[in-house]
Amino acid sequence: MNKKNDHTIEVLIVEDEPILAELNAEFIQRDTKVKALGIASTLAEAKLMVEKLQPTLILLDNYLPDGRGIELFEHIINNNLACYVIFITAASDMETCSKAIRYGAFDYLIKPVSYQRLKHSLERFELFLYRQSIQQHVNQRKIDELFNLQTKDFIDINRHSKGIEEITLQKVKDLFAQVLHPLTVEDVVNQTEISKTTARRYLEYCVQIKLLTIEINYGKIGRPERLYKRLDAQKSASYSDNKD
Amino acid sequence: MQIKKNVSFTNKLFLSLCLFSIIFLLLLQSYIWNVTEAILYKNLGIKAQIQAKELSVLPTLIKYVKEKNTEEIAELVTFIFKQSDANYIVIGDNQARRLFHTANGSLYKPMVGDDNHEVLNGNSIITIREGSLGTSLRGKAPILDDNKNVIGIVSVGYMIDDISEMHKKQFSPFILVCVILFFALFLFSWLFSRSIKKQMFNLEPKEIALLFKSQKSIMESIFEGIIAIDLDYNIININQSARNMLSLNVEDKHLLNHNISNFIKSIDLIYGVNNQIEDVHDHICYFNDIIVIASRIRIIIDQEIQGWVITFRNYNDINLLSMQLTQVTQYVDNLRTLRHEHLNWMATLSGLIYMKRYKEAEDFITLHSSDNQKNLDFITQHFKVPSICGLLIGKYAKSHEIGLKLNFDAACQLNALPPSITETEFMSILGNLLDNAFNACLKNPIGTKTIHLYLSDATDEIVLEISDQGCGIDANIRESIFEPGVTSQSPKEHGIGLHLVATYTKKAKGYILFDDNQPNGAIFSVFIPK
Repeated sequence: MNKKNDHTIEVLIVEDEPILAELNAEFIQRDTKVKALGIASTLAEAKLMVEKLQPTLILLDNYLPDGRGIELFEHIINNNLACYVIFITAASDMETCSKAIRYGAFDYLIKPVSYQRLKHSLERFELFLYRQSIQQHVNQRKIDELFNLQTKDFIDINRHSKGIEEITLQKVKDLFAQVLHPLTVEDVVNQTEISKTTARRYLEYCVQIKLLTIEINYGKIGRPERLYKRLDAQKSASYSDNKD
Repeated sequence: MQIKKNVSFTNKLFLSLCLFSIIFLLLLQSYIWNVTEAILYKNLGIKAQIQAKELSVLPTLIKYVKEKNTEEIAELVTFIFKQSDANYIVIGDNQARRLFHTANGSLYKPMVGDDNHEVLNGNSIITIREGSLGTSLRGKAPILDDNKNVIGIVSVGYMIDDISEMHKKQFSPFILVCVILFFALFLFSWLFSRSIKKQMFNLEPKEIALLFKSQKSIMESIFEGIIAIDLDYNIININQSARNMLSLNVEDKHLLNHNISNFIKSIDLIYGVNNQIEDVHDHICYFNDIIVIASRIRIIIDQEIQGWVITFRNYNDINLLSMQLTQVTQYVDNLRTLRHEHLNWMATLSGLIYMKRYKEAEDFITLHSSDNQKNLDFITQHFKVPSICGLLIGKYAKSHEIGLKLNFDAACQLNALPPSITETEFMSILGNLLDNAFNACLKNPIGTKTIHLYLSDATDEIVLEISDQGCGIDANIRESIFEPGVTSQSPKEHGIGLHLVATYTKKAKGYILFDDNQPNGAIFSVFIPK
């Protein structure tokens, strides 16, 4: 009974389906660092157990016989209880899910929960607690890191790519290398083989990396025209003018 | 009682005015009658007395009376009587026996009337007595000799009948005046009651009180804000909802008869150039930074415009209401399909487990939550504004429910909203554009049913682009697409979604572009500077 063991994460499972609750408990216990404190099958029971047992983490199912899991979440926030919540809800109840996001749930899982995903979430929580405990001097960068860890940052995505492919990007770059005058999305679509929906993303990406700049042409009344122009086009144009 | 009840207020007013004028005129008449009569009698009495006195001091008469020379007396007095307007003159001796009577009464008979006692004591008097000719008004004076002894009586008389005749003659023009006056008052009462009747719209005061009270309670019970203003734009009436919506926590006296521009800042709706000639219905505008749906209706009385009634409701309330209404029916449908789907899943699962194909069962389960989970993870990862996350999650779920696919561009990212736009406003832009895209997709049978969303704040702007494979924009409404009431949806919806999008974008100093998508559908792009 080593309660002070830093590596133990005490978890309360709130789930009204007994078999599922048992399975969840069994699953998370497999991980040595996580310990299931108890199983609550109603909202009232859950409230009591949160106060008595003071778990670090709650696996909170939304549908309970005597209320909604989100109410327990509100209860925790209102009473400033120091525990984190992994919110579990059905796919048909996205509304509540968006509420949980606003309340700052550590993670949100959709039923039927994939154990793979749950494991991932728990591992991330461990890391989050660990980093929080070793943080001696908290500077802004570290806060940001911590924040990002809490909210996102668990799926391995290439943050730099943002859906930008080199070949398509090169097409856009090539097009603007050839022309000096500003182009609309329409022009870009016509002269490359990019779809209209993709074109905007690449053009905006080029603006972001300071390759292109934006010019707004208020030609027709109420219908402005958004033109993309090479950032150095102005310079080159005036340069070529001088040459002539 | 029954009759009294049935007499209308204006008739009552008319009758009472008539009754009052009759009573007034009668009282006036009788007063004046009495006063003129008294004056007439007094004047005539004095006149008779003076004549009697004048006669009594005539030395010749004194001499004749002393001698009891009746013939001389008769000659003298008859001469004087001819100059007078008196009805008769009687001269008597010191025992009140007639020495002369203009009506040729017999001599030495006692004078009739029994009013000579005082005169014989040496006083002149005025009396009304029944005499030999009838009732008369008499002035009497004693005739005195040199030793101041009473030697006779002079009596000058006016017949009462003649006096009243005279009185009547004097009074008749006044009666005429009274009659004319009465008719004038009658006419005035009639016109007055008629004009009141007209101004009160033929209503009884009780009905008016009831109307007034019911109007007040109706106004307070209405959820819409109501403000009535006159032609000078002063507030005549305002209900509680209007006060609440505009947060006007002031008393009536600071509100009523004050110019509306003191309370509502942006009021193009109210001051509009066409406000004299036409009404406006369901116009979307700002009242003190609150977006409202307002109507302006002219108050017209007798074909003359007297002011306006402005009614308005918070736009968000109505939006919420219509959203809820449409969702209810959708939920019922979804629930039915969802249940059916669940039964199928259970059947599949039990089948897989029975066949001991556990790996497939596990994959099957994972498959059904992974799509949602992936999207949820994507949304929370790329959009750092919780309310926007919530909205997108909701819209994603909705798109699934109605058989569409909402596809988030891989490059989506949103860290924060610029201060120029509130979360609610941005949510309105995003929500309305998505809803439009959904509706457009549902209307197009051949499209891919996919909506593509790109939202990024990577540059100096927030770029929002929503493209669909829907029915596209009708060429007829292309130019007026952002105006309120313009809609391509049938049955006709309110047509304010895009108007709101344009309003909020303009407010945030941004702009909107729209274009046709390939191969069909539309692309809406919103750019808001940071």
